[in-house]
Amino acid sequence: MAEFRAEVFQNEYLSDGATDVHGVVSVTCTGAGVAGQASGTEAAEVIIVDTSGSMDMPPAKIAAARRAAKVAIEEIVDGTWFAVMSGHTVAQMVYPPHPGLAKMTDVTRRDAVEAVGRLRSGGATAIGAWIAAATELFQQAPAGQRHAILLTDGKIEGEPDGALEAALVNARGKFQCDCRGIGSDWVVEELRTIATALLGTVDIVAEPADLEADFEEMMRNAMSRGVADARLRVWAPQGSEVLFVRQVAPQVDDLTSRATRISPLVVEFPTGAWSDESRDYHVAVRVPPAPVGNERLAARVEVVIDDQVVAKGLVKAIWSVDTNLTTRIDPAVAHYTGQAQLADVIQRGLAAKASGDERTATVLLGEAAKLAHDSGNEDTTRLLNKVVDVVDVEAGTVRLKQQVAKSDEMALDTRSTKTTRIRREP
Amino acid sequence: MTCPHCGETIAAGDVFCEACGTDLGALAGTAAAPVPVGVDDAHDDAITAPSPAPSPVTPEQPRTHLLQPGGGSGVDTSLPCAACGAEVADDGFCTVCGHRARTRREHWTETHGRAGAPAIGAVCDKGISHARNEDAMATALTPSGLAVVVVCDGVTTAPDSDRASLAASASARDVLAAAPVTTGAFAARLSAWEPVLAASCRAANAEAVAIARTLGDPPEPPSCTFVAAVVEADLIAIAWCGDSRAYWLPDDAGSAGSAGSDGGDGSAGGDGEQLTLDHSLGTEMIRSGMSREQAEADPTCHTITRWLGADSVDPTPEFRALRVERAGWLLVCSDGMWNYASGASDLAALVARAVGDGADTPTAIAESLAAFANAQGGHDNITVALVRCEPPRPGTPLTTT
Repeated sequence: MAEFRAEVFQNEYLSDGATDVHGVVSVTCTGAGVAGQASGTEAAEVIIVDTSGSMDMPPAKIAAARRAAKVAIEEIVDGTWFAVMSGHTVAQMVYPPHPGLAKMTDVTRRDAVEAVGRLRSGGATAIGAWIAAATELFQQAPAGQRHAILLTDGKIEGEPDGALEAALVNARGKFQCDCRGIGSDWVVEELRTIATALLGTVDIVAEPADLEADFEEMMRNAMSRGVADARLRVWAPQGSEVLFVRQVAPQVDDLTSRATRISPLVVEFPTGAWSDESRDYHVAVRVPPAPVGNERLAARVEVVIDDQVVAKGLVKAIWSVDTNLTTRIDPAVAHYTGQAQLADVIQRGLAAKASGDERTATVLLGEAAKLAHDSGNEDTTRLLNKVVDVVDVEAGTVRLKQQVAKSDEMALDTRSTKTTRIRREP
Repeated sequence: MTCPHCGETIAAGDVFCEACGTDLGALAGTAAAPVPVGVDDAHDDAITAPSPAPSPVTPEQPRTHLLQPGGGSGVDTSLPCAACGAEVADDGFCTVCGHRARTRREHWTETHGRAGAPAIGAVCDKGISHARNEDAMATALTPSGLAVVVVCDGVTTAPDSDRASLAASASARDVLAAAPVTTGAFAARLSAWEPVLAASCRAANAEAVAIARTLGDPPEPPSCTFVAAVVEADLIAIAWCGDSRAYWLPDDAGSAGSAGSDGGDGSAGGDGEQLTLDHSLGTEMIRSGMSREQAEADPTCHTITRWLGADSVDPTPEFRALRVERAGWLLVCSDGMWNYASGASDLAALVARAVGDGADTPTAIAESLAAFANAQGGHDNITVALVRCEPPRPGTPLTTT
């Protein structure tokens, strides 16, 4: 049986008249089990492999896709409903042969592996159509976690503008989708849009040889998500305003615009399926001030599964004239504010660079180098160092590298949202 | 037995207080002394469920809390939110405005009354500015009709003074409530009460000292003020140490009659009167010629010169008595109240206004006075205890044995 707990990190003390309350709610799930094994739920998996013409250039890509699809199928546990589609100008069934889902057994696994060995490339990259087709397949799945892996090597082509957006409107809430781009001819923004809408991850696999391991890990993670669907419920007092609700670990994801209002004081955010993991949320609420000495709840942050509250964290406000108390900033809040800022300056810096505004790019990526250094985010520092030469990290001064591999820029972009955890005292 | 921390009832052998979690084992043999109240008609009419005192918040503590659904908040969730009237959630916060519900230690009332005995109404309130309620009170109405009121104001600068004040007031109340009924001439009865009042003050001091010991004798030991009053038929006797006060507020204040006076032949009547004289630098300033207003404006006015606790140099009380000859109120309060109405006539006006506004019980009047102090800012904890005093009817014996 899965267990959730919520821990709140904040400085509850506000100075007289202050209104903005910040807290980091760390939600941890243990005992999640295996996908589809909880009572009343069954898991469904769809693998979508890009088989557009470009996957043959070089042929190593389509070969890697075949191998990766195979290992992913092998990771899917018995009893899971699954399908494999090949995506080109349309989405085409690879296994089972007719539109629908098959139940994983030794026999279907063997047949599916055989089928993906026959994948051939040819055609366009109509990702909107692939998403729409996957949505239809998932309609046939029983209640439980529904997850897809989408692999592409190129930008959308061969379908009208807006097809992807329309498909996402329809797909939202029906399944989660992890997106991978192979090579460096795909568009980060397109895959990020899909991953954000469908509560998944996005990453680059620059070298075809790395795809197999990536798919294996991705599917293993999906299979470990024994909690099908949890929601984050946030209550804030009358007269207050929820400034933002942002997932800040393991990666930055602003949930604010995804709020569904449940009642006048309560909103809910989808968080998808959970494995044994921990996610941190930064909640900021503007509350009406109360006189010094008063204590007021700024937010009740609850984890809800099937309308049952399984964990609760309280973000509080206590007004005080003691500046020793009110001027301290909670280390978790400070850290994650910096990490969110880091993701933001990287993405804006790279966008400026792409548009030829080197000056702005230099300033923003310099700021990023400093933030990454100060917060001990070594992964991001390493990625940044492939794009800029750091002159003075303390001052945040950098020079743009003259020769940058496109895949390095894309890696920096896609992984900019990955955060480090704050080092917590034992 | 009651918990020395929050005053909640505990059973013999309890290791922790069920209400506030205080480690009773650590206090065994000292503060967790038995408290035989022996009062059958006492009830708390505002908050009846067990609820803990808030644990002290110090800057060194990590600002981290771990909460699970249904986690005990220690407040009575059956009562509406004091700020907006909406429902209070299990977590102890209002479901609409989010204000934290008050715990019993932060606001409680005590009410006693029955025909032919003085009615008592008292309220102890955290106020607004202070993080904790370091005031405490203890009241009793004994089967023989003796009214007892004790108010202790914990010294804020010493940590854990909220524990000292609560334990001190309860133990003094118990000494007074167990005292034998006095008979005979007024002066004789008065001389019988003085040693009992002194004993109650010693018992209170012993509790405060014991708590310091359980804390490992900190450099700033918990300490508190002390004022105790007994009303036995026509006799009011008071003992105090520090700047918590008692006032006599006759119903016909301002009309003819002699002012109450000291000693065994004292009589109550005429204008309202402050019965106690603070043991404070303010009093010394007035004694040296400063006006009351000037002295009260001085920042050191509230520095007390006598208190109870391990570091007290002079924990002995002063005494005062008077005879009830006309109907009126005995008011016992902490400085959180008198800061906003220090003159007897000001307090009498507040009582009259409360009655005019429909407050029809001593507790309702006390609540009204505390609300007034909160409306003025509530910069300190507020305790207000009222005892309704009626002169004995002609021909009725003063006391019964």
